[in-house]
Amino acid sequence: MTDGRANQYACTESVLDITPDAAVVSNLGVASYVLASVSDPKRARNFYQWGSMGVTTAVGLGLALSTDESVTVLDGDGSLLMSLGVLSTVARYDPDNLTVVIWANDVYGTTGGQSLQASHTDFAGIAENSGLNAVTVQDTEAFTGAYRDATESAGVTVIVCHVDPVDPDARPSFDFPYIARRARDSLTTETS
Amino acid sequence: MTWSEDTAEALADAGVELVAYLPDSKMDALIGEVVGDDRFETVLVSREEEAVGVLVGAWVGGNRGALLCQSSGLANTFNAISSLSVPARVPFLGVVTRRGNLGEFNIAQVPAGYNMDKLLDDVGVRNTVVSDQENLRETVSLAGETAFSTQSPYVVLLEQTVTGRKSEATK
Ligand SMILES: Cc1ncc(C[n+]2csc(CCOP(=O)(O)OP(=O)(O)O)c2C)c(N)n1
Repeated sequence: MTDGRANQYACTESVLDITPDAAVVSNLGVASYVLASVSDPKRARNFYQWGSMGVTTAVGLGLALSTDESVTVLDGDGSLLMSLGVLSTVARYDPDNLTVVIWANDVYGTTGGQSLQASHTDFAGIAENSGLNAVTVQDTEAFTGAYRDATESAGVTVIVCHVDPVDPDARPSFDFPYIARRARDSLTTETS
Repeated sequence: MTWSEDTAEALADAGVELVAYLPDSKMDALIGEVVGDDRFETVLVSREEEAVGVLVGAWVGGNRGALLCQSSGLANTFNAISSLSVPARVPFLGVVTRRGNLGEFNIAQVPAGYNMDKLLDDVGVRNTVVSDQENLRETVSLAGETAFSTQSPYVVLLEQTVTGRKSEATK
């Protein structure tokens, strides 16, 4: 909350408040730990990643193309930097039910907070130039408004949310197949 | 039927609905089959690793997915396969044009292409090599059946003896 940055816990809570039925695909590490901190442990539609840095947004795209439910990706800035080409892929299909949030904390938070050394890089600019709607937000209130707009508008919006680094204690289940199966069962056998 | 028609039918036999792909000269014929076929939804990716992510998402959303790429492209997927598909037990069917073996002229295709079956074995992905068209359709559809019922990825490597080979060998 220093420097007018958003709070990742509060923003993640907003995601769950605004889209309570959404499937949420969360990046390995901090994004998943924060989601596990603020979610009901029984929330089946949290598809936590335990690995595959750089692939989280692609998972969200495949899911959005395969369900009518809302899908929200919670990715990290370092992970997006590893796989910028995915933005062009997402823009090619631009599903209405997908929203992509990038937690821009300027560090590899999960591995100890090493600097990304990428302050010269404008992630929202890259997303726009890849063919997507994109917005940068600096505080929790702005995030909440941007997220509501993103979920109500057509096509994909990428929200680059500047946050302070955090170091949660919570962890999702270590049973990775269970996480995937639980999300799948919830999306394929329930009608909501 | 051509090898690409056989393979497209096999994908349909296996219940594949979403196909993620990145082109290759030999794969072009099969991509042409599936892109124009309304039994399949297709996703062109920027990097093959993305395709694995897309197929994982598709499975969680209730769809069966296939990956079409070249063996170099499959080498690009190894972190996604070994840190997501395998440990999360999310299946996909891979159909891969395998370079680096019989008839190969390009040394850059050899280290990953020739060894791809062993590399897949090492990360726990079952695979089989198809060298002639005769059993192609059955092999690909059985590969899909075992992938989706055991919930683990399975890759079919197609030799250049099936797909035709580039004639750029030194004279
Ligand atoms: C391919 C790969 N490279 C590196 C790592 C080690 N690693 C795990 S999480 C992480 C940091 C991810 O950074 P970012 O996406 O910015 O998210 P944050 O941790 O800050 O939330 C790294 C480098 C890994 N798991 N996989």
